[in-house]
Amino acid sequence: MKFNKFLTLLTIPFISSCSINHGPAFYSRTIPYVFNAFVDILLYEGSNQNLDDLEDMMTSLDILTDNYKSRPKNNVYTINNSSDDVLVDSSLYDLIKKAKEVKNLGATYFNPLLGSLNKKWKEALEKSEVLDSEVINTELEKINNSSIELKENNYVYKSGEAEIDLGGIAKGYATDLAYDYLKKAGINKYMINTGRSSVLLGESNESDGYFRVNFEEYPNIKFRAKNCFISTSGNAVQGKEIGGVKYSHIINPITGSAINNYDCVVVLSNVGYLGDALSTSMMFNTIDEIKEIETNQKVKCIVIKDSQIQYINSWIEVI
Amino acid sequence: MDKKKLRNDIILISSLLIAAVVALVVVLLTRVKTNLVAKVAVQNNVVLVIDLSNKNDQDFEIDGLKGKLHVHTHSGAIAVTSSNCPHQDCVKMGYVNTSNRPIICAYNAVTIFIESVTAGSDVVI
Repeated sequence: MKFNKFLTLLTIPFISSCSINHGPAFYSRTIPYVFNAFVDILLYEGSNQNLDDLEDMMTSLDILTDNYKSRPKNNVYTINNSSDDVLVDSSLYDLIKKAKEVKNLGATYFNPLLGSLNKKWKEALEKSEVLDSEVINTELEKINNSSIELKENNYVYKSGEAEIDLGGIAKGYATDLAYDYLKKAGINKYMINTGRSSVLLGESNESDGYFRVNFEEYPNIKFRAKNCFISTSGNAVQGKEIGGVKYSHIINPITGSAINNYDCVVVLSNVGYLGDALSTSMMFNTIDEIKEIETNQKVKCIVIKDSQIQYINSWIEVI
Repeated sequence: MDKKKLRNDIILISSLLIAAVVALVVVLLTRVKTNLVAKVAVQNNVVLVIDLSNKNDQDFEIDGLKGKLHVHTHSGAIAVTSSNCPHQDCVKMGYVNTSNRPIICAYNAVTIFIESVTAGSDVVI
């Protein structure tokens, strides 16, 4: 009889565990068409409200940094098409300020005034053509004769005919804003992937908190990472081979060339916008220059050429 | 003899229960956690991704090829509640919460398919 009672008691946890509602195992959202990509947000902690806030943050910055069309708020397009001072949102003002300064932090081949040249290269490559050298020289002259002035009270003025393009830094800056938000919200376990080129990693659900990072184009290369920003620049997706030469959407602001030194550069950093700008700029650096920037800016890099690792920082944990 | 039989039964049942508890713990610790998302595509372009783990009711209006569709989510399931299409097949499908039953409105070139998102630790760059 006593044994029967014991058996009955043992069944209670099984029955009750079936009826307990544990809530969502995690919170995830994919935001389509932000920064011309699908942004994936995965929170192992938090709530749907946190997802809403992060989505608002991403879509707002996407509107502000759009250099292709006018949006409900003054954005990069407004600045490019205005001959007057333009009042902008404080986050866009701050981003433009960082885009101007990042050259002094090692991103010597990053220039926020490449907009018009970028568009011309893009149009040419879509038609499988190489941009005419005369057009390149005209565009470079425009860039050299243009400037961005940051005035008081969030006013921005662009002089000259060159256009601002923050594409090489905006996603990284968006992950910086997301990081600040998640830190304030006390959320430590998360992953935000802004279309593969800028990823913000907190801790995963694994016991050691690490994520396994895989390359879409280079399946043999994998590494572990957590609590960092991962910025990637490469010519695999938007590049085009013409006459045996690979041309990229990443343009050298000094020569106007669309030929990169490498297939891909990955930067692991503690600051999203810096990693983003550095990964773009490093496509034109030598390996020795990249090593020097790593030391000065406390970043870690992977450089890939011909689908092989040409250089990898020894602190990166390859798996 | 009876006492011995009873003791053996107790040992057998206890062993089975312990094995069941161990198996349950293993399953709970190793199970792959998934959430469902509904992807809404117009002419094969995904225009909206809806998180179905959000159990609150949500309403969306989709611009289809020839008119608007009204989409509603309820308790982790999704349905087309109104459409301008002539046959109303998409509306008749009712609420769907599994990946093997996409909602299709051929008239408006709208497809709604459910995918599971795994909270794994793999990141693709």
